[in-house]
Amino acid sequence: MRPLLIAMLLVVVAAGAAAGQASDRVVAATLDNGLRVLLEEDHRSPIVSFQMWYRVGSRNEARGATGIAHFLEHMMFKGTPTYGQGQFARLVEQNGGQDNAFTSQDVTSYYVNIASEKIDLVIDLESDRMQNLKLDPKDIASEREVVIEERRTRTEDDPGGFLGEEVSSIAFKSHSYQAPIIGWMEDIKRITPEEIRAFYKTYYMPNNAILVAVGDFKATDLLAKIRAKFGRIPKGPPPPPVLAVEPPQNGERRVIVRKQAQLPIVYLGFHVPNQKSPDAFSLEMLSTILSEGRASRLYKRLVYEQQLALEAGGDYNYFSHDPGLFWFWGTPMPGHTPEDAEKALLAEMDRLKREPVTDEELQRAKNQVEATFVFQEDSVHRRASLLARFELIGGYAEKDRFVDRLRAVTAADIQRAAQTYFPDDKKNVGVLLPKP
Amino acid sequence: MTHSLRRLALVVLVPLLLAVPASGVTPIAHREVLPNGIVLLVAERPAVPIVVVRAFARAGAVLDPPDQAGLANLTGAVLTRGTAKHTGPELDSAIEFVGGSLSAGAGRDGLTTSVAVLRKDLGLGLDLLAEVLLSPTFPPDEVKRKTAQIQAAIKRSEEDPGTVGGRALAKMVYPNHPYGVPVEGTVESVAKLTRDDVVRFHAANVRPDTTIIAVVGAITVAEARREITARFGGWTPPSAPAATVSTVGPAGGPRSESIDKQLTQATILLGRQAIRQTDPDYFPLAVASYVLGGGSASRLYSRVREEGGLAYAVYSYVNPGRYGASFVVSAQTRTAEVPRVVQIVRDELVRLTREPVTDRELKLAKDYLIGSFPLRLDTSAKVADFVVAVEEQGLGLDYADRYKERVAKVTAADVQRVAMKFFAPDAFNRVVVGAPAP
Repeated sequence: MRPLLIAMLLVVVAAGAAAGQASDRVVAATLDNGLRVLLEEDHRSPIVSFQMWYRVGSRNEARGATGIAHFLEHMMFKGTPTYGQGQFARLVEQNGGQDNAFTSQDVTSYYVNIASEKIDLVIDLESDRMQNLKLDPKDIASEREVVIEERRTRTEDDPGGFLGEEVSSIAFKSHSYQAPIIGWMEDIKRITPEEIRAFYKTYYMPNNAILVAVGDFKATDLLAKIRAKFGRIPKGPPPPPVLAVEPPQNGERRVIVRKQAQLPIVYLGFHVPNQKSPDAFSLEMLSTILSEGRASRLYKRLVYEQQLALEAGGDYNYFSHDPGLFWFWGTPMPGHTPEDAEKALLAEMDRLKREPVTDEELQRAKNQVEATFVFQEDSVHRRASLLARFELIGGYAEKDRFVDRLRAVTAADIQRAAQTYFPDDKKNVGVLLPKP
Repeated sequence: MTHSLRRLALVVLVPLLLAVPASGVTPIAHREVLPNGIVLLVAERPAVPIVVVRAFARAGAVLDPPDQAGLANLTGAVLTRGTAKHTGPELDSAIEFVGGSLSAGAGRDGLTTSVAVLRKDLGLGLDLLAEVLLSPTFPPDEVKRKTAQIQAAIKRSEEDPGTVGGRALAKMVYPNHPYGVPVEGTVESVAKLTRDDVVRFHAANVRPDTTIIAVVGAITVAEARREITARFGGWTPPSAPAATVSTVGPAGGPRSESIDKQLTQATILLGRQAIRQTDPDYFPLAVASYVLGGGSASRLYSRVREEGGLAYAVYSYVNPGRYGASFVVSAQTRTAEVPRVVQIVRDELVRLTREPVTDRELKLAKDYLIGSFPLRLDTSAKVADFVVAVEEQGLGLDYADRYKERVAKVTAADVQRVAMKFFAPDAFNRVVVGAPAP
């Protein structure tokens, strides 16, 4: 459903903002086994956010085994010889901590937020499950059913999730961004314990991971503890690269699905470059101008002025490992059709191509991004996540340059980006029509 | 573009979590009552240059007249859509130009208006907050627009089995109380609301003598007092006394409802009335709920999810409000397994009434409820929400410390006694949303 989609998009948008001169507060190290460690002290509260980021996601999956990265993420909580089934959660909770994990296209991330005096426990648990996962076939069998239920919640019974999958699957014909993160149902049912074990062995190793901690600790002490525990884990062979390059799109692609729903939904997706392109900053600003707040273009025009959409927005993922999609979405109000919403979205794109955004819009977007950076500083969890996200795309210190690069974007840059990346004849369109 | 989480994020648990404990000895916030009755709460958090303000008016959906369900919600939605000085779009532009946010919305008990700004923009943020609270104009076209949007949102929410089930359950748990009526109303009830209704509701219920203003962030108590007094000091309460609401009454016999939807998964909700934090049994109940379905080590999580592979989401929680409380167990499972999951839930409820919890479970629950507290107060926004909640529910700013003490004292016998009071499975209302069993 859209609330989910939008909540997740917001996470990405929020992650697009980071703090000023943060990098000099970070203690960074790479252990001999390749584990990258980023530590930042923050003594305001007696807590720590401890995060493990593995450079593996649905992007690394083979056809026929989609969803295996996410399946493995579930299995990471099912125990090792030292800490058996359920022990991870029990120990974290018993120590007043909170933990969770997520899988995306590019990464799998685990976090524990906990009183900083309990940090030794977390180091112990995380270093243990990096190499010693049991992966008992019986546990895999029962967890498979849990993942299937998760897919039912997120996709089968959720109109927005359902449509999103369909659009991705037509937008990509070669690259693994084609497949849903949770995997196709057929693959979830089929994946074998041997495949999960092989996947774990291939990607879960110190040289494919980033450890980030922000909170109330002394960085030099913590680094010594991390070295002692994680340093023992042997380095693995480099994981195989993802070779697929998505070929240029040659024409419009469109999918129409009918599903029990109350309102139609329209998604549009355009292939765009990722952060390796200088245009990424223009696209990031464009996303803010289109969608951030009630003064943003799509809300103001489609929701407020024209009153033809209940919701409308656009989103760009600056952090995408490989080039992905710039998404647009709209939910037509009752009495309006998906065609109305699609036309209105396209009209806004057309306007972006024809005329530069106003000075006010551009300045507002820059101020919003800068403020978001400051707001994020308030949370150790968000700060740690942001360091990891920048590290994943080339280095945490990029965070410092990010705002300056955004500040340099001009209205002409944005107009050129819109002209280049939103060609009317190369769009991917998904329409969900409610079935009574 | 999307993430798959290992566990469902339990947003729904917030009311319970807010009731969780502080360990510090210094008060979490400064409190004073302004001459016009506003309760001002200030928490200084100087490290990050932001300020978060929450103005909570006791003007929630409980005050909706019986034939005007959704009135508080509509009032909240239109509050930021125009003032004596600015149109809605002007307000949007002004706050967003500085990267801040301004929003308003009603819940069951109150109508909360929030501002978050960089410290340097505090003056602007508070000016706008004062404008929308004190001089909203509720422009007719904005009322019309919001009415249509709320109706569309209600229509769309019919897609969400959790929302559908929650509405049906609330009606059963609170049959004779406004808590049984959806905050947003229904498509039909909202259609009948007029701008005059909104104006009257605001004039009668958004008033200084029932308003709490929490200011949290890079600001001192003296500054907060000065800035709030300058803008809200002249706000006078209406002559009529503030509306009162009765606490929830007895629910009558438990009921059961199946709501047919063409879904591959069924949403099961079991619920009944429970108790608020002011009742000493609340603390054993919080522990009992945690043992039953509170975390990843709970009995339901272990049996339904870890061992049975029957669900992605299964949990229980206490949901206290100002006028009453409920206890709810929720699970989502494939259609064919509904009877099995219901049976497991019933068995586990009964087990808590028949045998004491193990020492290990008791310790885990108490250690978590007490030990996780610092995580609940690690941002200015969370602190603001917490202090408003304890003030509004009449728990006192030292509630956190008392909670910790109370939870620490809970024994296995307490848990069993309270379970016997609240966990008899036949006393639960039941809603199942999904396809009929094959």
